Order: sequence, then C-alpha cells, then structure tokens
Amino acid sequence: MSDTPSYIGFEEYSEHVPASIPSAVQQATNRFVSGRAARVAELPQWEQLRQIGSDIRQHTLENMDVYLVRFEEKVKSAGGHVHWAETAADANRIVLHIAKEHNVKTAVKSKSMATEEIGLNHALEAAGIETIETDLGEYIIQLAGTGPSHIIVPAVHLKKEEVAALFSEKLNINAPTDPVELAQIARETLREKFLTAEMGISGGNFLIAETGTLVMVTNEGNGRMCTTIPDLHVAMVGIDKVIPDWESLTVFLKLLARSATGQKLSTYTQFITGPRREEGEFGAKEFHIVLLDNGRSKILKDPVGRDVLKCIRCGACANVCPVYKNVGGFAYGSFISGPIGAILTPQMQGTPTALELPYASTLCGACADVCPVKIPIPTILRHLRRRVAEGDEFSAPTISTPLRVVASLASLALAWNWVYRFGARLLPIINPFFRHDGWLSNMPYPLNRWTKVRPLPPFTANFRTWWMNVRSAKGKDSPR
Amino acid sequence: MTNPILENIRRSLGRTDHTPLGLRPAIHESRHAESVDSEIERFLVEIKKLSGVGQKLSPLDIESALKILVAEQNIHKATVWDTQYLKQLNVAEHLQSLGVDLISSNADKHEIAQCDLGITEADFILPETGTLVLRSSAEKPRAVSLVPRVHLAVVRPEMLRADMHQVFAEAREDRYLVFITGPSRTADIELTVTLGVHGPKNLFVWMIEE
Repeated sequence: MSDTPSYIGFEEYSEHVPASIPSAVQQATNRFVSGRAARVAELPQWEQLRQIGSDIRQHTLENMDVYLVRFEEKVKSAGGHVHWAETAADANRIVLHIAKEHNVKTAVKSKSMATEEIGLNHALEAAGIETIETDLGEYIIQLAGTGPSHIIVPAVHLKKEEVAALFSEKLNINAPTDPVELAQIARETLREKFLTAEMGISGGNFLIAETGTLVMVTNEGNGRMCTTIPDLHVAMVGIDKVIPDWESLTVFLKLLARSATGQKLSTYTQFITGPRREEGEFGAKEFHIVLLDNGRSKILKDPVGRDVLKCIRCGACANVCPVYKNVGGFAYGSFISGPIGAILTPQMQGTPTALELPYASTLCGACADVCPVKIPIPTILRHLRRRVAEGDEFSAPTISTPLRVVASLASLALAWNWVYRFGARLLPIINPFFRHDGWLSNMPYPLNRWTKVRPLPPFTANFRTWWMNVRSAKGKDSPR
Repeated sequence: MTNPILENIRRSLGRTDHTPLGLRPAIHESRHAESVDSEIERFLVEIKKLSGVGQKLSPLDIESALKILVAEQNIHKATVWDTQYLKQLNVAEHLQSLGVDLISSNADKHEIAQCDLGITEADFILPETGTLVLRSSAEKPRAVSLVPRVHLAVVRPEMLRADMHQVFAEAREDRYLVFITGPSRTADIELTVTLGVHGPKNLFVWMIEE
C-alpha cells in the first residue's frame, strides 16, 4: 500500500484532496496540539529535556557504528538473531526467509513505519502469507486499501459510518456505527488471529545498545499481543533507532508520548531483550531483529540533512504544520508525511523522486519549535531546496532556464544600487495595463500564478524612497 | 567479515573502526520522591485520570474486595501470578470460594484467552505517571496482564520509585519488562476514546497497606 511511486507529485496530489480530509485531520491535530501543550506546561524542565534529547541523538548519529556493533553483540548473547538489510528488497527477503523456515501461514503485525517503508505486507502477501495489521487504525486502512492520513491516527479521515460499512462488507457482518462497538468487533476478530498466527511482526521505537534491548511503545496492546502470543517474533527497525543506554532512554520516553498524543507515557512500553527464557512466561521462543539501512547510511553523509535521523516519530511537527493540516497525509506520497516527511522522503528516495516535497512548506518554523529533539526542519527544507535546484551527487540541477535567468537578473539588480533604483522607477509604468479597482489583479504568466490567488497593490515608489520618507516624517531615529 | 552497512556508515561519517567513541552527553537529574503518603496519593490520582480504578486496602479487606470485583465485573474464570505475596494474601483460595474457575497462569494461550480476570503484582510503581512496572518469569507470565479483559494489579508502598531512572538501575538486565500506564486504549475511530481494544478494558490497582 505504501510502495513509493517513482515521482511524488505533491502539488497534483494536494489539488485532489477530498474535502473531508482537512476537517478530519484538523480535529485530530487540534486535539494532539492542546494535549501536548498541557503536558509540556506541567514539566518545568521541558526545554532542558529537549536539548539533552537533541544532544544524545546527535552523539548517537556521530557514533552510530559503535552503538550498532554493541547492540548486535548484546542481542546475540541474549540468544536473539540479528540481520542486516541494506535495501528494502533485502529486508523483505530476510523476513520471507524466516517465515518460510517456520512454515508461517499467518502473520500478525503491530504498527511499524519501517515495514511500511519497505512494503513488507505486499512481499508477504505475494508469497501467500496472510499478513494482518492489528492496530485498529491500521487494520481499518488495510481493509479499505488506502494509506495513512495521520501518523498516530491513520484512519482519522474515515467516518464511523464508513468504518461500519467497511466492516460489514469485509467481515460479512452487520456492523453498528458506534465507535466503541466497532472497536469491540475488531478486538474479537483480531483475537482469533493473535491466537492462531505463527509469527508476530513489529517495529521498534528504540534500540538500547547497552543491553541489546528492543523498546516498543503502544497504546492498544496489539504490540504486546504480537510479541507475547506467537512463538516467533521478527522486529524490523531502522538503524537510526539505536541509542546508547537506559539512562538515555529516560529522556526519550519523557519526550515521546507527551509530544505525540499528550500522554505522560503511552499505555504500554515494552523492553524486550532476546527470546523468552522459560516456557511458561509467554513471549517469543525465537527472536529476530532486522536492522534496516535503506538509504540511512547515505543520509549520514550530508552534515545538514542528517539531522532528520534524530527523529523519534512523534508526529508533533505535522500537528502544527499549516500545510499538512490542509492537505493531510496522502499528498506526501510516502509512508511518512508532514514536515518530517518533506525532509526525509527526498533524502531517502532521492531528490529527483521527491523534488516537490521540500517546497511543501511555508517555512513558518512551527515544526522546529515543537520538535522534541530540536530538528531544524526549516533549515533542512531550505538546504534541500538548494540541493534540488543546484543538483547534488544524486541528481542534476532541476532549475529551469527562465528561472535561472530571472534569478541572475534579480541578483544583479539587488547588487547594484543604480540598477535597482532605475528598475524601481520603471515599474509603475506597467500599472495602467493591469490595474483593476485599485489593484493589480490580472498579471500575465508567470506572475498570474500569484495574482489569480491574491491581487498585488500597484507599484508606487521603491523601498529606499519610502524608507527615507518615513524616517524624515517621524524624526531621525524613530523607526529602527 | 565486513558488514557493508557499517562500512557505509563509517565512510559517511569519516570514521574508521578504530575511531574511539565520543562522550555521551550528561542526562538530566531524576525526579525526587516526596513522602510515601503523598507519593501514594499522587499514584492513585494518576490511575484515576487514566480511567483505572485505584484504592487503598488492608490485607484483611482482600476477600470482600474480591467478592465485589467478581460480582461487578461478572468474573467466571481467572488466572493469577504464582508469587509469594499473592499466595500470602490467599487470592487464589478466595477466588475459588467465590466460585471462580482458576486457570494456571502457565496454561496454554487458548485457555488464558478464556479468562475474564488476570491478577498480577507490580514489581515497581511510578507515581508521576501512574505506571505499573511488571517483570517476567515462569511465575510471572506476560499474558496475565494482557489477555484477560480485566487486570487487577496488587501493589505495596515499597514498590514506589521516584522516577524510571531507579527502575532501570534495578531492572536493566531483565530480559523482559513492561510499563503499564492505564487500560488498553485507542482513539482510532473518529477520535472517540475506547478502552480495551486489545488489552484489558478495566484496570484495577489495589494498594495494600499493612
């Protein structure tokens, strides 16, 4: 469902967003924004925590090889299996191989961005393995065959009536439209699957290098089911999820739920180190972890862009983003949306595929203000715009010749005082041609891309003249 | 044996496999505990905010409290952790005398799935967040706090820890640990908060004070 297209046309996608999406998405984002604000207000050391969180992530990125080696050693000594996957195809092949070895017919999955990134469900289904999403929202969109509209509440764009119709059709029942009863139906349906599936698949929020521990944060309990009931557990986790130790984890656990949902902690936080020791304690008898690269080690090379790998996937940046709130998750054409998607997808898929995404932002900076690990998202957006325009080691420049000419002329005009002043004097000449009701509302292409949305005021004087007038009118040093 | 991913990381960062590890930034201080009474109060308030039911009980009240729980929650089958303290409280005997079917907590997954009630004992509790911390062993199976629709956790004041720093210091070598902060919840359909989507719908926490 989230196999990435070869070109992500954000502008085109966003023009076809159904009218129901923005209102549903805004209902969710408004709730998360106010929840986050309340939790943050309770914690006087919040800003200090963010700084420490950011510093630890920075440190981990800079020493990632050491921590990954340590993590691998510890998982192995706890009796778990570690696999390294360079690409999405490698990762799918590894999971498929494990599944076939164990004669798996059904796999239950808890929510995982990494498996969506690599399209694992498709790969398993193609091999005849039934693969069931068990997070309620993910289950609904799997039945509907669509992608997620929001990172935390992926099915928020669907009304309860639509969910009921979907359940009625797919489960062959007569489903009521009450959300509580619908959740109960999902509980009963999926309970059967948990009890019969041979394999549980999960993602992971953090990997603790100190002890080789997988940390999973969930609310519904499906993540615990997937790792507690089946005898085989396979976790798919990006290499960027590694952290040094348990002390570091205290910082991220305090930041994550507060930033994501406005909870102090999510309902269930699990700490899994290798397989179970004793027969009667439940938990998987066999534990595998796939460490996924899929472009991450390449991202590390860009000292500005690499900060995207600090992300702990809380979704706070999307919740405050004016662009995301109006287009929702689909328009970003990838498993991850919002501002973080706009800086991750181009680096992961390559700038040619996602060259529109760095422009899917007003650069207002709200995302950077709420990011729990202080990722400078607007700085990275600007950096990627430059990479797109001027070309980078992965792609040729995309800037068009007319735009390049205009940009050169503009820099010329701004560099030389007399050219600028001459141009500014010249501009009012065009006023009579386009003036309508006191505004310039009907400029020719390409300026009409602006004026068909909002008119320009007529050109009068240039800025320098205006500034001089203001200064002399108000006294020499007032408007400074 | 070379690992291409590690090679790529080192190349991108300009490191070799001999580059020493830098110093990890210092971590913030842990929260400081208040008096035991106020920590217990805080813990119970948080449990309530999370839609759980918390109460203080004396060991002598266990039988009557179980009687009410079994009646109100319509409990027919239950499974109980095989721990010293729960035996000392005679939890299993009380349930049997109330006519509840007891299933071994090491029983098959299908049998555990038949249980209405799972009873555990938290190993640590965190008052700031209303969190129960449960360890895992053959006596403390993971499924008991997860699969039945009602979860009762018995806790005592000595399980209080000021912050997760203290819990991790004691339990970081454990092979499994779970933090439980309220009953299972979702808001995935129209943002309507729904309890008990996969894990327990009802969470009871009994603080036993001698």
